[in-house]
Amino acid sequence: MDDVLVLCAKTALACLLIVAGGAKLSDPASFVSTVRLFIPLRIAWPWLSAIAVGVSLGELAVGLASLTLPAITALNALVFAIACAFVAASAMGYAFHRGRSCRCFGALSQRRFDAAGILRSAVIAGVAAVALAHVTAAALQLDTTTRMLLLAAAGLLALAAFTAARARSAGREPEPEVVAQ
Amino acid sequence: MKIPLYLAVAQWTLLFALGLLLIVVSRQLGRMLHKDHAAAPLGPAVGSKAASLEYSRFADDTVQYLTPGDGQPALLGFVEPTCPSCEQLVLALGTAEHTGELSGLRVLLLTSSPKSYLKVSDAFRATQLECGRILAPATTQAYGATSTPLLVAIDRDGVVRAAAPAIQLAEVRAFSRACLLPPNEGESIPIAAAAPPHENDLEAAAPAAGAD
Repeated sequence: MDDVLVLCAKTALACLLIVAGGAKLSDPASFVSTVRLFIPLRIAWPWLSAIAVGVSLGELAVGLASLTLPAITALNALVFAIACAFVAASAMGYAFHRGRSCRCFGALSQRRFDAAGILRSAVIAGVAAVALAHVTAAALQLDTTTRMLLLAAAGLLALAAFTAARARSAGREPEPEVVAQ
Repeated sequence: MKIPLYLAVAQWTLLFALGLLLIVVSRQLGRMLHKDHAAAPLGPAVGSKAASLEYSRFADDTVQYLTPGDGQPALLGFVEPTCPSCEQLVLALGTAEHTGELSGLRVLLLTSSPKSYLKVSDAFRATQLECGRILAPATTQAYGATSTPLLVAIDRDGVVRAAAPAIQLAEVRAFSRACLLPPNEGESIPIAAAAPPHENDLEAAAPAAGAD
């Protein structure tokens, strides 16, 4: 039962990273404006765009690797580090850019930097900590064919996230403004 | 043949995630099929009376009022510092102002962002144009500013003569001409030639109705 819990945490986080990366890649231009909030230096737009695409691809790559290579424990630590970075970004966003859209899942989400966002990130970090727990080696044994099938399924998930984000972006309704003083 | 525990868990997690995304896409498709998106035009209707507005001027942090129809034509730019197209519009307006092409007009840049956000943009930081933060949410609704950049030309009688996304100097010139048109004379603004608006940060500050 403990193994099931740990593996659920691990696969859920991998799927979360795949969905987040795939959705962000559908509209990197809007994610650039979030990246810009966290870079105080004056950087040319192409560089900001490259950073935004790099972050999205990084999330996607770590998610794919974590899902298809479960025996590599270093990936669990990497996912935990990324989850901690989410907490730090949420806290900084709450402190300095409260109310701004975080675009954490591209157009799939319209969440903003707020206290609930920090809590969500903390929960993700907690789940990542659970995924760090030891699992019996037998439970993680996968052959090459299985890995390829998992990779294909994960690719399908990324494609679905990309498409869903595109659909939401295309059909987004105009919303009234709320000025937060 | 015994399936590894990881594979069993992973396939159920993937199935769950795919199911969630399928629901998102289905809901969105349903919305798109049943909504009339043409019912939300960008900008106020040309020929309509422009609404009064109040804003906090960044230069001196005072509340200012704009009352269209007070005898002075106005050129309003709805912009956001984090929107690249808006930076181009600010630069084009600055050029036109510098060359005297906007003389006689009250040129006003309006944003929903606080003053501190101007520092993220070179164009906004350097501009000499009057810039302020919209104070009432109703203002963006009255002007149909659902995305930025949006340029609105108002004549001396307070009538909207043109409203469209614009970023180029030629478009700014066309808008300034529209501001100075005599009453009952029309002007065609090349809306199709304007750049597509950047996703608006005005809506980013709105409640996440139906999000996630």
